[in-house]
Amino acid sequence: MEESGMTLFVVLNKIREEQDPTLRFDFVCRASICGSCGILVNGRPTLACRTLTKDLPDLTTLLPLPVFKLLGDLSIDTGIWFREMSIHTESWVHNDEKFDLTAQEERMDNEIALMIYEAERCIECGCCIGGCMMTNLKPNFIGAAGINRVARFMMDPRDKRSNQKYFEVIGNKEGVFGCIGLLACDDNCPVAVPLRGQITYVRRKMASVGWKMK
Amino acid sequence: MILQCSYQKGEDNMQLQKMMTYNLRTDFITEIIQMVSGLLLFLFLWVHMLFVSSIWRGAGAFNVLANFMDRWGLLPFTIMFLIIVFALHIGTVLRRMPSQYLEHKVVWKHAKLIHHADTWSWVFQSITGTAIIILAMIHIAIVSFAGINAHLSALRVQSREFLIFYIVLLLLSEYHASVGLYRVFAKWGFVNRHSMKRILNFISLFMIFIGAITLGILYTLGA
Ligand code: SF4
Ligand code: SF4
Ligand code: FES
Repeated sequence: MEESGMTLFVVLNKIREEQDPTLRFDFVCRASICGSCGILVNGRPTLACRTLTKDLPDLTTLLPLPVFKLLGDLSIDTGIWFREMSIHTESWVHNDEKFDLTAQEERMDNEIALMIYEAERCIECGCCIGGCMMTNLKPNFIGAAGINRVARFMMDPRDKRSNQKYFEVIGNKEGVFGCIGLLACDDNCPVAVPLRGQITYVRRKMASVGWKMK
Repeated sequence: MILQCSYQKGEDNMQLQKMMTYNLRTDFITEIIQMVSGLLLFLFLWVHMLFVSSIWRGAGAFNVLANFMDRWGLLPFTIMFLIIVFALHIGTVLRRMPSQYLEHKVVWKHAKLIHHADTWSWVFQSITGTAIIILAMIHIAIVSFAGINAHLSALRVQSREFLIFYIVLLLLSEYHASVGLYRVFAKWGFVNRHSMKRILNFISLFMIFIGAITLGILYTLGA
């Protein structure tokens, strides 16, 4: 039944149609955009919709991504985790300036805009979280996706949070100093967010803040 | 501000004792101590190898160095230095290691599952680290009681147990140091980690080579 260009998405649907109508798994976009189909394919976290069956060995095991809430079979709820992480890292632009509806929007350096865009490319699939030893060991560790999220706001000149504020959120073992540098996150991110770069950026920044702090 | 510090993900309850003992910089400082003590041990490993390999130029050269260390009281100094740095390194890395049986199982399961080289190397790093604590303590104890000279060392490696002991210690410490240094670069950036890994592999093999020759020379001297 192998067809050229067949993905795991097609396979799982076939199995559900022909063998087990109760099989649970998640898909929305089928094009590496929505991030709902993260699973372990032979142990490796990746997106099912971009995994071609012709690249797989004869015997392939599929498992749901660990760390997240399991809904059944391959279906997990990444939403809860990412929402908690967003609240914890206060993922919004902190700015007390009064908003002037009529004023022109402030311009941003193209370079900074591109850097922020790199971080924003994260599709919240959870592959970096499921594949990380630390998130599996310590549920409070915010993982690469969390550190990447904070990096995004650190780069943003509109966010007026002080370095001290960032340190309180991420300069600890639940944040960047909890990372042990195995870089499974960087190796497994299906959309190639430069996670190692993001982690080192945050780590160095937080180290210099911690160093100067009294 | 304090209120906010005590808030951690998935842990909304305020815990008074935790709040009162909370220090914002604890994790940062432990991280730095872990790294610096590790780097110092790495440096020590090199200097140590350099000193021991003086045997390449004969027992005389080795003994000159040993006497020099003796005369200036460098041996007790080195041992003190080692004990302190070792203690700091062990104390700070312990927090990373799985402490409960369940955590051990998680680590093994995870490593076996995700087929990821750097994750395995971390597991081996923990194992070699633990083994080194014991082996290095034996090594330091012997040296500090018996003192250092070429004759003693040569005689010691004549016994098969000691020879194996030193070969194992050499391999484990070179592995641990190499992976440790790689990890520092992986964490802090600055270099391409894949080429860094290759360079470090080369350096470790080179050190193992030097160590092996040194052991070989000592062995023939004793025979
Ligand atoms: S950083 Fe990459 S692996 Fe992690 S959640 Fe985002 S897209 Fe997925
Ligand atoms: S580098 Fe390793 S420990 Fe750090 S977030 Fe990535 S996978 Fe987790
Ligand atoms: S289904 Fe949307 S990323 Fe796979």
